[in-house]
Amino acid sequence: MKAHTMKKNHLFALTLISVSVLAGCSTMPQSTTLDNARTDYNNAQANPQVVKLAPLQLKEAGEALERANAAQASREDAKVVDSLAYVAQQKIALTQETAQRKSAELAVSNATAERNKLQLQARTAEADQAHQQAAMAELTAEQKTAEANLARQQAADAQAGAAQDQASLAAMQAQMDELNAKKTPRGMVITLGDVLFDTNRAQLKSGGERNVQKLAEFLKRYPQRTVLIEGFTDSVGSDSSNQVLSEQRAQAVSMALTNMGVGRDRISTKGYGEAYAVAGNDTASGRQLNRRVEIMLSDERGVIAPR
Amino acid sequence: MMKKTSRFQLPQLSRSGVAYAVLAGGVMLMAGCAGTPPTEQIAVTKAAVAHASNAGTTQFAPVELQSAKDKLARAEQAMEKEDYALASQLADEALADARLAEAKSESAQAQKAAKDSQDASRVLREEINRKAQ
Repeated sequence: MKAHTMKKNHLFALTLISVSVLAGCSTMPQSTTLDNARTDYNNAQANPQVVKLAPLQLKEAGEALERANAAQASREDAKVVDSLAYVAQQKIALTQETAQRKSAELAVSNATAERNKLQLQARTAEADQAHQQAAMAELTAEQKTAEANLARQQAADAQAGAAQDQASLAAMQAQMDELNAKKTPRGMVITLGDVLFDTNRAQLKSGGERNVQKLAEFLKRYPQRTVLIEGFTDSVGSDSSNQVLSEQRAQAVSMALTNMGVGRDRISTKGYGEAYAVAGNDTASGRQLNRRVEIMLSDERGVIAPR
Repeated sequence: MMKKTSRFQLPQLSRSGVAYAVLAGGVMLMAGCAGTPPTEQIAVTKAAVAHASNAGTTQFAPVELQSAKDKLARAEQAMEKEDYALASQLADEALADARLAEAKSESAQAQKAAKDSQDASRVLREEINRKAQ
């Protein structure tokens, strides 16, 4: 009986030890560290970047959290639970860092790709610009060639024109020479001598008509020119009769020109009698020179300088 | 349900049997708290902390690195005191700290590289736009 009691006491003591040991390993079911770890884990799980870029790390963090949860559930020492929760927290933080690192690495490769693209675009643009400039230069060269050709053409034309002008001028000069035209300060003057008229007559002789024919042809050829026909006499006879005679002679030439097809509007006549003698009236030859008709040729604009 | 059943069955066992069972359970629990020396775990942690001790972590994760070093030191002290459970626990934390320190440093450096790269792109873009004008 006593031995039994002893044994019973012994058993009780052992049981107490065991219980106390058990209690030592399982108190304080609450852990703020674990609560925080759970919150952190939920946040990490809700972060698509973490889920996408750090799935392995997230899985390991979940397992660490599970160990902490299990330790708390089996009422292990708070320090053990806290420690496991701490490890879980660090692993959850690791998922965020890993996700950020991978995201940054993606950004680096994206930026590098963008730079390569930009450089390629820039090079392409430069090449295009060079092409464009070359094309432009070609165009400019073509334009310059065209301009040079045009200039050459114009120069040639001018030369040809000048030659033509010179030729026509020469032709006109030749015709004027044929008409015995003389250059005076008033312009070109053609003098028809008295051989064309009989004394005291205003009728053109046939030889005179030939000369007038030449003049008519000249005037038809140069339609911008007009003529002023001036009649003169020697001093034989009265002034009034000489005046009339000079006018009649001028009109006779005018008539002849009109008959040959020169417009009346291009012809004007004037008589000066015995005025403006070109030689002395004391000799027969001088008087012959004074009996005359002078034909003033206008310039190209039809203007005749007044006497 | 099983636990309850076994507890109800306890009185049916011999008293000495119960005593031994409880004793054995106590010893086992004590052993569970103390454990065997976590030599391998300490070695792994030591290597991890050594690996994490670099210029990058010193700059970008000094707190985590220091924590890893401190906990490793404390784990080694616990080993000397044959408090293997504490040693294991501290080694676990030190390992997690060291890994986090490295991840933080790598992340910070990658983010810096990303910023530099993006800046370079921006500069290039501006340069090209300036040329184009």
